Amino acid sequence: MFQNLVCQLYLFAIYFFQMTKVETYVGAYSKTNKMVKAYAQEHVYKHPWERVTSASWRKYTDPQNKCTLSHILEVDTLNKKLDSESGKLYTTRAITLHAPGPWFIRKIVGQDICHCVESTVVDAQTRSMQLTTCNISLQKFIEVEEKIHYEPHPGNPSCWTLCRQETSIRIKPLSKLASMAEKIEHRCAEKFMQNSVKGREVMERICKYLEAETSGISL
Amino acid sequence: MGIAKVKSSSSTSPCAHLRTAYHNCFNRWYSEKFLKGQWDKEECVAEWQKYRTCLSKHLDDKHLSRFLDAELTPADLGGSIDGVSR
Repeated sequence: MFQNLVCQLYLFAIYFFQMTKVETYVGAYSKTNKMVKAYAQEHVYKHPWERVTSASWRKYTDPQNKCTLSHILEVDTLNKKLDSESGKLYTTRAITLHAPGPWFIRKIVGQDICHCVESTVVDAQTRSMQLTTCNISLQKFIEVEEKIHYEPHPGNPSCWTLCRQETSIRIKPLSKLASMAEKIEHRCAEKFMQNSVKGREVMERICKYLEAETSGISL
Repeated sequence: MGIAKVKSSSSTSPCAHLRTAYHNCFNRWYSEKFLKGQWDKEECVAEWQKYRTCLSKHLDDKHLSRFLDAELTPADLGGSIDGVSR
């Protein structure tokens, strides 16, 4: 029962960060009494970098995907900066999520809305996009940081895109969850993979849509 | 699963139409200008100003509102994966 509960909260953190395909599981390790989990994943999109990064901006806001990513309530751009000399774009977005899970989770965490902040750097000259997302709510229980990097695929730079993703999850030692944190692995890892697929599906769908749009209009 | 979830509103909901206008403008600018090397000129300025004004009025989370005024520097943006250049 409690194991399930920890799993739920843990998942609920992971759930926000829609994953692409899980290819490597780097493993979990404990450092002092903090639980830290790190996951690294790679996925190849068979679409050019320009299309994939365009899709990434639309991932949470595209009305077509409201059902798949129904836990995303709002995405607001808080800040942006364009370096017009170097072609670098910096943005900060707030992602507001609805915390899924049963009532007792909400009881523990005291709220059913969670805010995350996503910082993005796009370098148009080197064709690189990097997103870093952290939760700013619920930090006394859990810290999740996700980094995603999109770059042209070395083997086929003009047509394919390599997505590398690192996620680290830290459950706070003094939280009510910490004493149970050791037990969560298996079920959570399974759920983690299931959720991963969703984010990738959305990205693939938007890429296809953008592909159709380009070939219809400009070719 | 999750499809029938009740949609709760957040504090920035009053800005929804300004947000959509800005994001649509941004997406167009990103694909059609920025990616094609035309990054010398900012666009969507009017949309951004309106949206931002609305946000500063309605964003009630103090953790979030500090990002509104912050000067964006690469240092705020965390480390990189494998030393990716920024």
